[in-house]
Parts: sequence; C-alpha cells; structure tokens
Amino acid sequence: MNIQDNYLKNSNNIFFSQNKEVQNHREKLIYNFENDSFDRKNNESLKNVNPKNFIDFKYKYLIPEETSVINNNHENSYSIVSVNGQCSSFKDDKIEISKILVEDYNDFTKNDTIDKNDHFVNLNSLFLNSGFKIVIKKNNNIKIKISNIITDDDLTTFQKNNYICEEGSSLNLIEEYENKNNSTSNILNVIKLEKNSHLNHFLIQDNSPNHSLIVTSHSSCKKNSTYNQKVYNFSEGYVRNFHYSELVETNSEVDLQGVFFLKDNNTSNNKTFVKHLAEDCKSNQVYKGILNDRAKATYFSNTHVDQVAQKTEGYQLSKGILLSDNATYFSKPELKIYADDVKCSHGSTIGPIDENAIFYLRSRGMSKIAATKILISSFINEELSSIDNEQMSEIIQKKLVRYLSKVK
Amino acid sequence: MFLEIKDLSVKIENKNILKGLNLNINKGEVHAIMGPNGSGKSTLANVLAGKEDYEILNGKINFKDNDLFDLNIEERAQEGLFLAFQYPVEIPGVNITPFLHSAINSKRKRMNEEEIDNLSFAKLLKSKASDLGINIDMLKRSVNTGFSGGEKKRYEILQMSILNPELAILDETDSGLDIDALKIVTDGVNKLKTKNNSFLIITHYQKLLDYIKPDYVHVMVNGSVVKSGGSEIAAEIEKDGFQKFL
Repeated sequence: MNIQDNYLKNSNNIFFSQNKEVQNHREKLIYNFENDSFDRKNNESLKNVNPKNFIDFKYKYLIPEETSVINNNHENSYSIVSVNGQCSSFKDDKIEISKILVEDYNDFTKNDTIDKNDHFVNLNSLFLNSGFKIVIKKNNNIKIKISNIITDDDLTTFQKNNYICEEGSSLNLIEEYENKNNSTSNILNVIKLEKNSHLNHFLIQDNSPNHSLIVTSHSSCKKNSTYNQKVYNFSEGYVRNFHYSELVETNSEVDLQGVFFLKDNNTSNNKTFVKHLAEDCKSNQVYKGILNDRAKATYFSNTHVDQVAQKTEGYQLSKGILLSDNATYFSKPELKIYADDVKCSHGSTIGPIDENAIFYLRSRGMSKIAATKILISSFINEELSSIDNEQMSEIIQKKLVRYLSKVK
Repeated sequence: MFLEIKDLSVKIENKNILKGLNLNINKGEVHAIMGPNGSGKSTLANVLAGKEDYEILNGKINFKDNDLFDLNIEERAQEGLFLAFQYPVEIPGVNITPFLHSAINSKRKRMNEEEIDNLSFAKLLKSKASDLGINIDMLKRSVNTGFSGGEKKRYEILQMSILNPELAILDETDSGLDIDALKIVTDGVNKLKTKNNSFLIITHYQKLLDYIKPDYVHVMVNGSVVKSGGSEIAAEIEKDGFQKFL
C-alpha cells in the first residue's frame, strides 16, 4: 500500500487529521513521499536503512485502549508507565501531564533545525497516533522515570511528546525502552527549557531484535538553562538516535552523549546537531560505540555557530572500537562557524582494540578475554562513572555484563 | 637450568633481529645485557614475555623445565615471568588497584594457592607502595595514565614486588629516571632479590649496575651475545663504548 492510501485509510486514527493547517502540511509530505522528491544522496536519515521497510506498512495504527499508570512514589519523584505511546492525564502542584495539542504540532513543523528531508520525522508528522505533554512547573525540582511499553505485535506508534521545563525548574528524567514484540516505535521528543531550568535526560534502550526504535529529539534552551542527554543503547534491534538542540539565549548549555553496544547484524544510526544562536553558550557532543560481528553504525555530529554567537565553546568527539573485521562505523563530524571569537573542536578515532594494551594486561597474568573486557569497560568508564543514580548505574552495569558475556 | 635460551633466531616484518642467541640463567642469579641501540635487547625481552608480533625462526627456550613456546602470554606471567616495560602502556579507565588484585589472583589460581581477599590485598599494596615512595593517591588512578616517566617506572617495580616473580626482566628500567628515582627503583629491586628468583636486566649504561650488582654481564650486538663475563665488562663499556664489540 502506498503512503497516500495508507494515510487515507487510517486518517481516523491519526491525530489532528481534521485540522486545516495540519492537513496542508501533510499533503506536502505525502506529495514528497509519492514523488520521491527527498534528497536521497545526502540524506543522513537513510544511511544503512532501507526506507521501504518503514514505508510499506503492514502495521496496525490503531492504538489499543490501555491505561497508563502514574505513581507518585515520593514527594518529588514520579514513575510513569507509558503504554503504546499514551499517558493518562495527571496534575498536581509540581507537574501536569496532558495530551498534546494541535498547536504543539503546528509550532514544531515551523521549526527549521530538523532536516526537512528526514524520512522518520516526516513519517512521524504524517502518521502521528500517540504522545503526551509534560510540564514541570516553575521552580520545582523533580524526578520522573518513564517505562515505554508496547503491548502488541505489528504495532507502529508514531509518538510526539512535549516536555516543558518552566523557569527555575529542574528535572531528572529516565526513559526506559525495553520491548520484545515485533513492532516499531517512532518517537519525537520536543523539549523546551525556560530560563534557569535544567534537564538531565537518560535514555536506556534495550529492545529485542524484532523491535525497531527511532528516537528523535529537539531541545531549545533559554537563558542559563542546561540540557544534558545520555543515551545507552544495548538494543539488539535497529535503533536510531537523532538529537537536535538549539541554544537560543545566553549562558545556556547542552551536552549530548551516547554509547552504543552492537553485535550480530544490528545497525544503529546516530546524529547530534547543535545550533548556537546566542553568546556565551557551551555545547558538548560525544558518542562512543562498540561494534562486534557484522554490526554497522553511523554517527553524524554537527555544530553550527551563528554569527551572533560569540564566545561559543563547542566540542565534538566520536570514538569507536571494532571487535571484528566485519564491523563498520562511519563517523562524520562537521563544524559550521560564522562567528570569529569561538573555541570549537572535533575529533574522531575508530579502530580495533589496542593490541599493546592487551599485551600489557596479559603480561600481568590476565587472560586475553578478560583483558579485552576490561579494555571495553575502560573505554566507556567516563560514561559509566558519571551516572550519579545508583539504581540506574546498576541497571547499566548488568546490561554491560550481558553484552560482554557474548564477546569472544 | 632455570632459563635456557638455545640458538634463538627471531624476525619481525621480514627483518631478522635475533640471530642464534644463547643465554643460560640459574636460580638466584642476576644477569645484565648491554648493547647498542638496535641490537635486539628489547626484542629478546618481548619474545620472553610472549609478544605475538615476532616469528620464531629457530631455537628453543626452556623455563622451569617447560618449553616456553608452549605457554601463552598470561601463562608465562602466571608461571612467574615478569617484564618491566621500557614504555609502560597507558590504559585510561582501568584502575590500578583492582587490576593488580586481579593479576595476583590469576597467578595464585594457577599455582593452586588461595586467592587474596580485598582487605589483605589493600594492606599488601599499601605497604609495597610505601616502600617505593609511591603516594597512596596514585593507587586511585588509572594504569600509567598521566604518570611521569619516573612514576611509570616506579609503578612497574610496584607491580613486580606485588607479583613477586621468579624471573624478572627489566627492559631499560633506568631510562628517563633521575638519580633519586633510580635509587628508589633499584632499592625496590634489591629488596626482592632472593636465592629463588632471577633477574635479567637490560640497560645501555653502567649506572644502573652500580646499584644492582649483576653476577654476569653479556654484550649483545646484532642479535647475538658476543661476550659474557663479570661486572668488569660493564666498566669496560662505560669507558670505551660498544665500538670494540661491533
């Protein structure tokens, strides 16, 4: 079935399909899909991906009626189980959870930071069938843990979530993706940080081989706000992490970090993009990958410094360990700088494990396999030791041990 | 014979490095190998430790009645062979203390000895570090990472004193050390010396041998031992250089 037929057939299950402005936007997207008028050659969203697998849908769109659960464990701590991309409404004096509104959708489509050729973001806009909005109220400091659950096989969720951190608020957000059914989650997180707000965002991804996860985020930071994102990808199925950030007012900071552990024939595509649009802002983009067997990965990192963004500090780093001759990791760092008083750098090192280090450790009595494992752990030591949440640190350690147990 | 190297020839990347080398070491002996740059001294150390980049063309090495070539790198270490590296490798993220703890226990396991627990190991490490003038804070750091040249060499000797090897090979341990550091390092070696362990010391200079008295000195040139004798050879080299042996 083609895109247009698919859309028309399922439009009753797709959010905002009666809204004129949304309809206009979607008609343009359908036209582009039908006429294949997206740039294919330089399209980062299509690297290592067969778009047909994600366009010729055989999936269900109708989200089953399930009730999500919200527990207020402690005074400042919330635990949410999001079922099939849905979350029940909830309100107290610290947070408010509600459905996303058509205004949120239209606001987002006007933003030009995300590549207009991004197939997955366009599919998300076209077939949007789930999502929620969470507002952290002014001057509150809270923790939220979200478990993202998909209940059915052959289900595709096109989910748009909005997070708004109001002035002076602070949010510690842990998201878990651990799905075992044959399904696809296409998630777009739109994150707004108001003045003096802070968000530490952890994403733990550990899906089975038949679950595809596509996560895109767009964050914007106002004055003195910080957005820190850490992605831990242990999934055995396809995962894409594309994360965009705009520093729109002075003294704001963004840190986008990720580690991925791939094996077998698995693929992971990653991208971080930071746009500096104001003075005195800082950004850091670091991705590290460990690839075994015939695994493939890409990482595109981009720093764009606008001409008004003087005194910018922007750093990029990409590192990879290839545990097999058949594993491949494509990394492409980019800097576009239009201001003259900036400190920016980028670096990329990908290669097999250091044989001299292996020899050194073995010469002290360690077996080759133990030496390899200790070197892999040390490669991501910084990312592991910076987790200040004990429970999460334990979860990540267990997943790492599981991955290492398969390394020969 | 404790270590017997017989007619050893070795090449790397089509270049013959060791050419029919012979060397015998008995238990409790200290041997020094001196030689000009490129004579094959470090190759010998690496081949003994088991580095896999080399091709053995000919010869045999017996260590404690075992054919050394039957043992892989870690088995040689567990059998009591230790190489103090000329250029110790920096390994960021691998903490010194658990690394050494794991190293000593892998050796004990092979020897069917009881593993050493955390507390006893911490005490042992602290006491050995203090003997070598190593600050306790250094033990919280990653292996060789950010260490000065002297600190790296001192840390090699600390590992040696913890692992208590039967055959220690010191590959130019004196290079890059100031006189005070050299004294600390050589004191550490001398403290370990017993009638049950042996040392093979590779150096360019006599200075190190003023502090660690060798029983035998060998001159190595172009991949083989060209002269063997007592410490008078070291004095001869200090005075006249290697020219007369070339």
